[in-house]
Amino acid sequence: MKELFTMWKHTRMVVLTAVIASVYAAVLIPFKPIPIIPGFTEIRPANVLPIICSLMFGPAAAWGSAFGNLIGDFFGTLGLGSIFGFLGNFLYGFIPYKVWRIISKEEPTIKGSKKLLKYIFLVFLASSVCGVVIGWGVDLLGLVPFSALANIITINNFLVASILGPFLLIILYPRIKRWGLLYSDILEERELPRKNLRGLGLILISIGGLGGIVLGNLISLGIYHSGFLGAGFITGTTGSLGIALGMVPVIFLILIGSMLL
Amino acid sequence: MFIYLDKESLLHRLHPVTKIVGLLLLFIWAMVFNHPLYLSIIFVIVLFLSILAKSLSNLKKFWILLIILAFFSTLLWSLFLRGPTRIFKLGFIQISKESLLYGLAMGIRIDTMILSGIIFLSSTRTEDFTLGLSSLGLPFPVSFALSLSFRLVPTFQATTSTIIQAQKSRGLDLESGHLLKRIKKHIPLFIPILIHAIRNTDLLAMALESKGFGFKKRRTYYLHFRYKWQDWLSIAILAGLIGLSFYLRLNGYGVIFRRI
Repeated sequence: MKELFTMWKHTRMVVLTAVIASVYAAVLIPFKPIPIIPGFTEIRPANVLPIICSLMFGPAAAWGSAFGNLIGDFFGTLGLGSIFGFLGNFLYGFIPYKVWRIISKEEPTIKGSKKLLKYIFLVFLASSVCGVVIGWGVDLLGLVPFSALANIITINNFLVASILGPFLLIILYPRIKRWGLLYSDILEERELPRKNLRGLGLILISIGGLGGIVLGNLISLGIYHSGFLGAGFITGTTGSLGIALGMVPVIFLILIGSMLL
Repeated sequence: MFIYLDKESLLHRLHPVTKIVGLLLLFIWAMVFNHPLYLSIIFVIVLFLSILAKSLSNLKKFWILLIILAFFSTLLWSLFLRGPTRIFKLGFIQISKESLLYGLAMGIRIDTMILSGIIFLSSTRTEDFTLGLSSLGLPFPVSFALSLSFRLVPTFQATTSTIIQAQKSRGLDLESGHLLKRIKKHIPLFIPILIHAIRNTDLLAMALESKGFGFKKRRTYYLHFRYKWQDWLSIAILAGLIGLSFYLRLNGYGVIFRRI
């Protein structure tokens, strides 16, 4: 993950970070008035951007997504929950390019069913990690139940990115490549992700992300009788030690897995 | 920033670092109690700060959001928490006195946090904010990227709006159809938005490098802020109030349920 830090030496990566963040925020803001949970989350077609930008611009997309989400919060919903929004969106933009390098040696222009399946896997992984981190964080702060917010974020991100992403990548990737703006063209060879322990990182983050959604819902459903999705608002619970402590191993796996990717 | 008010006030004059640390302290303070009475006192103090920051005009823009947040929070907490003193029951839905009070407290907590954010945004310019982050140790390229993002948002918002209008005039209907169909309709919007945004990346990077971006590790700044006694006093008062609040909480005050 050293490219996350060394990328700041490259002016074009700094500019790409700012461009991705501002486009993400500029597309997020017009959809703020269509909330799913008022004040917490809304319909977000912009959520395809971190995924496709990650596959093209690598670490700049991770920082750009995190900054973009924070800027979106600056339009009136800035709070302690914004810290977890920052972290969740950072991972949402960080996981795709790292995972793609592990599961495929080809370019991420989604042509053919094999590539599509790989793409769907990484979108679901990134979406669930984002959902788990934000869901856990806001539950920890006592704001919204995990079973309501984490599932909505995961499904919202997954649907938007898996439907729009392949079309956008087919059109945009060749053009960005021609302009020489792919992260693999800007970063030096020694800065690019290394191969050792990447597989282990993928396993850990998959257990953390996919398992986190299952475990978080099980804790809510089983122990606290929380409902699924919207029903979580009727019978769910937040700010409880069950979710806060029960999910710590999962969050730990996600963080360790991210470092090894 | 987006809701910045160019006014002369005590809060406008504070050092950006004081404002960032103060904002975090206000967030922490709102987390200490879960009793509506105690949180109301904090909310009133934050409201007083809003008057000091001359940001009431921004508060007028957001009061509907604050009411919606408080309402939803009170409603959901009242419905799903169980307390010993039941006051309403209809099938599996039941409300207790404790869950209602806790819900009200959580509504006030969220509103206190949002109000703190509004005060910060009303009294802090983008340049001050990024300078504050740099002073706190954030590397310059990172704070520059954040600052540039803030500046580019209105540009890309205008582009997004123009592209949406242009595609609508060609017959694009974003509102009709089922969810998947509506998501698919965004493809003709995203491609021009992204192409427009990324096309100038190289030019912008060259312009920055021609002005010496990244040349020296240590930078000098056009803006200068000095810590004044008001900065130290503000942080000391807030830290003292939070310390007192923790003491009260540990002694059983301001608690409806034993949780955050």
